[in-house]
Amino acid sequence: MRRLGQSGTRLLSSLIPLALIVLAGGFLAAALVRYSPGFDSIPEDLDPNISPATLRALHEKHNRENSLPRFYAHYLGRAAHGDLGISENLKTPVSELLRERAPVTAKLIAMGTAGGWILGGLLAWMAVWTRRTAIEAAAFSITGLLLAIPPAVLALAFFFYEAPLSFALSLALAPRVFGTMRAILGECYHSPALLAARSRGLPPASLAATYILRSAAPQLTALMGMTLVIAFGSAIPIETLCDVHGFGSLVMQAALARDMPLLCGMTLVITLFITLVHTAGDLAQR
Amino acid sequence: MKRAIHTAAVVFLSLVVLCALFAPAVAPHSYDRQFRESPNAASSREFPMGTDDLGRDRLSRLVYATRVSILLAPAAALVSVLVALVMCALSGARSPVADAAIGGFTTLSLSLPWIFLFIILRALLPLNTRPGTSILLTFGLMGIAGWAWPARIFRATIRQMLESGWLLAARASGIPPARILLVHVWPHLRDIAIAQFRVLIPTYILSEASLGLLGLGVAEPLPSWGNLLTELQHPGRVQENPWLLAPLVLLMLVMIALETLQPVREVAS
Repeated sequence: MRRLGQSGTRLLSSLIPLALIVLAGGFLAAALVRYSPGFDSIPEDLDPNISPATLRALHEKHNRENSLPRFYAHYLGRAAHGDLGISENLKTPVSELLRERAPVTAKLIAMGTAGGWILGGLLAWMAVWTRRTAIEAAAFSITGLLLAIPPAVLALAFFFYEAPLSFALSLALAPRVFGTMRAILGECYHSPALLAARSRGLPPASLAATYILRSAAPQLTALMGMTLVIAFGSAIPIETLCDVHGFGSLVMQAALARDMPLLCGMTLVITLFITLVHTAGDLAQR
Repeated sequence: MKRAIHTAAVVFLSLVVLCALFAPAVAPHSYDRQFRESPNAASSREFPMGTDDLGRDRLSRLVYATRVSILLAPAAALVSVLVALVMCALSGARSPVADAAIGGFTTLSLSLPWIFLFIILRALLPLNTRPGTSILLTFGLMGIAGWAWPARIFRATIRQMLESGWLLAARASGIPPARILLVHVWPHLRDIAIAQFRVLIPTYILSEASLGLLGLGVAEPLPSWGNLLTELQHPGRVQENPWLLAPLVLLMLVMIALETLQPVREVAS
């Protein structure tokens, strides 16, 4: 019972900063909308029959009603009911757009991250486990080369050769996974427990499951969080350049059209997603 | 072997930086001079890498692009490190409330992918900016948006130092906070600041390339590695004119040379 209470307190202490960060992210987005160029104009500006005094009064009323705290309170109130406003550019509800595009990006990120982990993990395993300088040098050269290419260029190459774009994302993520995995595996490799297990002749699969995955679980969870964030950042140029109708290309569309309700909604959703990922990593490390 | 690779990287980077610094002397033509009688010209004695759609010499544009990308990335990295240092100095020297506020702001900045943040910031600014302004905007925003990672490391180091006995003794003896920061804290932070600065340079070079490909980087007619890479979006042309790959090859060589000189992967992880 006491343990349950402790877990609850720990969860609560993680959720409060999470909620604060998401609210701050939303406030930032609302501030962007409120102070974006053109927000202060009203339809009556175009009516030549309205006197300057009336127009001034209407502007004052508009500004009073749309002060940042009031604007944000209204926005949050609507967002709590799932109403994130209507996209000015696409004339579609923001929540509908997000629902439509999110699965495309989620699939790209999931497949890209899985590929990056497999490739990066495999290279790290080979570099640490074989203890051969040539293999280690080859792993370093491959990941070094991949680090030197912008993910968007990799995506273009895959796009032209009609290969799956998630492979491009995997190649962009693999060097990042390799760096951390190599450090984690290297640490495990030299641990006395693993040395004893190896001397008893345990097979590699058993060693990995019993000694490495269990002891390195917190670091691996944190690494997963970091890779997801990098994958999301890389998905934006990949989707935009390769004409994939996902979240990333929507960000670009919204930015170029200065579609502030859409940008605002996406900021809230992205902040929530990334903060959840970070919190999960933090909880796993405790 | 390692030493030879290290020396080769230093020599290569020095040559590139020298070319960038003395671009007007090295480049055969100006980056914006149009040879209207020879647009899309093939490689020749006059134009070793041919000309682009507007008849501008590709080699000259590559030399000037190197100047923009390789000299401004360190400037942006310096801005990031300075902003991070100032924020952390404020959080360390002021009240716990300021520390918590800056900590929260750092977490918020880290909660948004930098490219998303950059695209939003860029959306607020006029898109038809002049080339010079676009350079300042691109690298300035990059510098400002990238402060959070170094700030997190500085803040952790400062917090560790604030709990140490020697700093407590310095504070107890009445040394003013500014002097504590400059004389006692800074020497411990200096190496971390230099490491962060070096790590951010390749990150910003790659970032500029990605932004240039998206059309959000340095504006035409000024060349940068990013906007030269946009020509790679036409695969047919690349097959006909392999020298269109020259900016990518140069970018990769510079990145590999920078990686050789610093533990990029360790920091990236």
